[in-house]
Amino acid sequence: MLEVLELRKRYGEKEALRGVSLTVRPGEIFGFVGANGAGKTTTMRILMGVLRADSGELRWNGRPLSFEDRRKFGYMPEERGLYQKMKVAEQIEYFGRLHGMSKSAAASATAELMERLGLTERRNDAVEALSLGNQQRVQLAVALVHEPSVLILDEPFSGLDPLAVDALADALIERCRAGVPVIFSSHQLDLVERLCDSVGIISAGRMVASGPVDEVRVKEGGRRLKVVVRDAVPGWADGLPGELTVTDDGRQVLVTEQGDPQAILSSAVRAGTVEHFGWEQPSLTEIFREAVA
Amino acid sequence: MNNLWLVAQREITVHGRTKGFLVGLVVSAVLVAVVAFIPKFFSGPDSYTVGLVNSPGIQPAATSIAAAEEITLDFTDLPDERAARTAVEEGDVDVAVVDGSTILADGRVPGQLGAILQSAHRTAQAEERLREAGLDPARVTEAMNVPPLAEVSVNPADDNAALRVGAATLLVFVLFFLLMSSITTVAMGVVEEKGSRIVELLLTSIRPWQLLGGKILGLGLLGLINFVVVLAAGVAASAAAGTIDDLPPGIGGTIAGALGWFLLGYAFFATLAAGLGALVSRQEEVNSVLTPLTTLLLAAYLIAFSAVIDPGSTLARILSLVPPFSSMIMPVRMAGGQVPVWEVALGAFLMLLAVLVVLRVGAGIYQRAVLRTGARVRLGEVVRSASAGS
Repeated sequence: MLEVLELRKRYGEKEALRGVSLTVRPGEIFGFVGANGAGKTTTMRILMGVLRADSGELRWNGRPLSFEDRRKFGYMPEERGLYQKMKVAEQIEYFGRLHGMSKSAAASATAELMERLGLTERRNDAVEALSLGNQQRVQLAVALVHEPSVLILDEPFSGLDPLAVDALADALIERCRAGVPVIFSSHQLDLVERLCDSVGIISAGRMVASGPVDEVRVKEGGRRLKVVVRDAVPGWADGLPGELTVTDDGRQVLVTEQGDPQAILSSAVRAGTVEHFGWEQPSLTEIFREAVA
Repeated sequence: MNNLWLVAQREITVHGRTKGFLVGLVVSAVLVAVVAFIPKFFSGPDSYTVGLVNSPGIQPAATSIAAAEEITLDFTDLPDERAARTAVEEGDVDVAVVDGSTILADGRVPGQLGAILQSAHRTAQAEERLREAGLDPARVTEAMNVPPLAEVSVNPADDNAALRVGAATLLVFVLFFLLMSSITTVAMGVVEEKGSRIVELLLTSIRPWQLLGGKILGLGLLGLINFVVVLAAGVAASAAAGTIDDLPPGIGGTIAGALGWFLLGYAFFATLAAGLGALVSRQEEVNSVLTPLTTLLLAAYLIAFSAVIDPGSTLARILSLVPPFSSMIMPVRMAGGQVPVWEVALGAFLMLLAVLVVLRVGAGIYQRAVLRTGARVRLGEVVRSASAGS
């Protein structure tokens, strides 16, 4: 289990992190979302030991996180970095060895990964000769080659074509099934919603919501009642709480978090033909907008 | 340690196969080989063909004199002066001696050959006149067989002064060239890793000192390979040119010493180059950030050059003890003449001390600056953050 407890970090006058905490369990994919500059990258860089926090604690399986623990982690930094003039296979293998693999183990893991990521034909090309998408695949291979015990990926999906997104998503799910905690940050909330078991929303250096996706939805978004009425008499919802909108084809939609559902329903029935009446859960995007606003 | 070696290995394989390295290796080897051939070029050819018309007695005398000068002469008998003129004009012979009285040449007679033939002519004429005067031919020959003057220098150290200066000049040039190119490569390598942010990835699996040390070690080994190839080319070319016998005695020790000084100088300059390189994020900034260091190196080069001409000057003596100048000046002084052992030992000790200090300072700067991407990091900030203990 990977735990981040009360991280604080200040750059000069600016407080980048003001007490960030999060927990990722084995076999869990944690989606890290937040606006630009909210503190995602800073948190991940501190986790990887690239930056030092002013205060706070990092724990891995209950013990303080050490350099040797991190050597087994897989990391994809926000700013991608590869040796442009080095060959693809050579490069992946080199990183495997830096993470402590033997020459033969690194070679076979490299061959296998390249096969899976569709890089085998480019094995002897210099990285600079590859398309950006393929460079991204090499970057992923570098993060995965040593079968990491934890995966920390900063915006891994940005700049990927849909096929590569699927390949990466599969790779993350596969690692996660192997019992590895996975953290990734993303602006693509639909992806986070699709892939993640847990989510953390960070805003201005503070976690505003964190936990299993469903719990966050309920807790942060609450439940909302949605009523759709056709041919309603005007002004029927004047006394009711919530927000009334009119669709292009004249249907009236009332969304509310308060009020007595039974009273609202009987008002709606009196006003016109009720087409829809039910509880709704907000999407992550809506929660995100609300949390960050 | 394992990681250090992994990094070094990468540097060697990746840089060792670049065109720049291979071309530089070949060019410098060829350059040194050419330089080694220059004395031979200036001393002229070492064999001549001489045509003889009715000039007995020249051949045996000239042959023995030429042998003493390490020159081979071939002789061709020609029927008359006309044939001799044609042979000289067409280059079949270099010169022709006619009737024991004239040398025919195409232009001027080559200096050395002229002296040999004139001397042989005098001997031959003297022998003949003595014989004509009725002396016993055997006694004449015996009397004419005079051993040459033995050549003895009153200053044994300066025995091969010119050659020593030549070797030292070459050494200074090679040292300067190799140090300059190695430190630029180190700094550019650091900036490549910093600029591409790959350093962020690297430093999550290895320590900064392993990355820095591996890079300096790997590129240093490449520089050493370059140095050895250049020296080997020089020695091989000298052997081929026949000048190897002329190399000053103890040249082996000079070369070994130069290698040692090269390593010390390299460790000093390369570590500082890595530290300075870590301050910037773009290749275009490498030259400007290295300027103080290259200026220092250039100064050491110029002073070393003056030491070639006058190895005993006070400036050369003092600076051959002061790091980092000593790394270039001391090997030159050692090549150019006798240096007291205590001076060499003191110079080496001070240089080693300087290297240790620089390793600590340079690695510290590197460690603090290499992850701070973006605008150029000011040296002052790094030093301040070091003293603040962060």
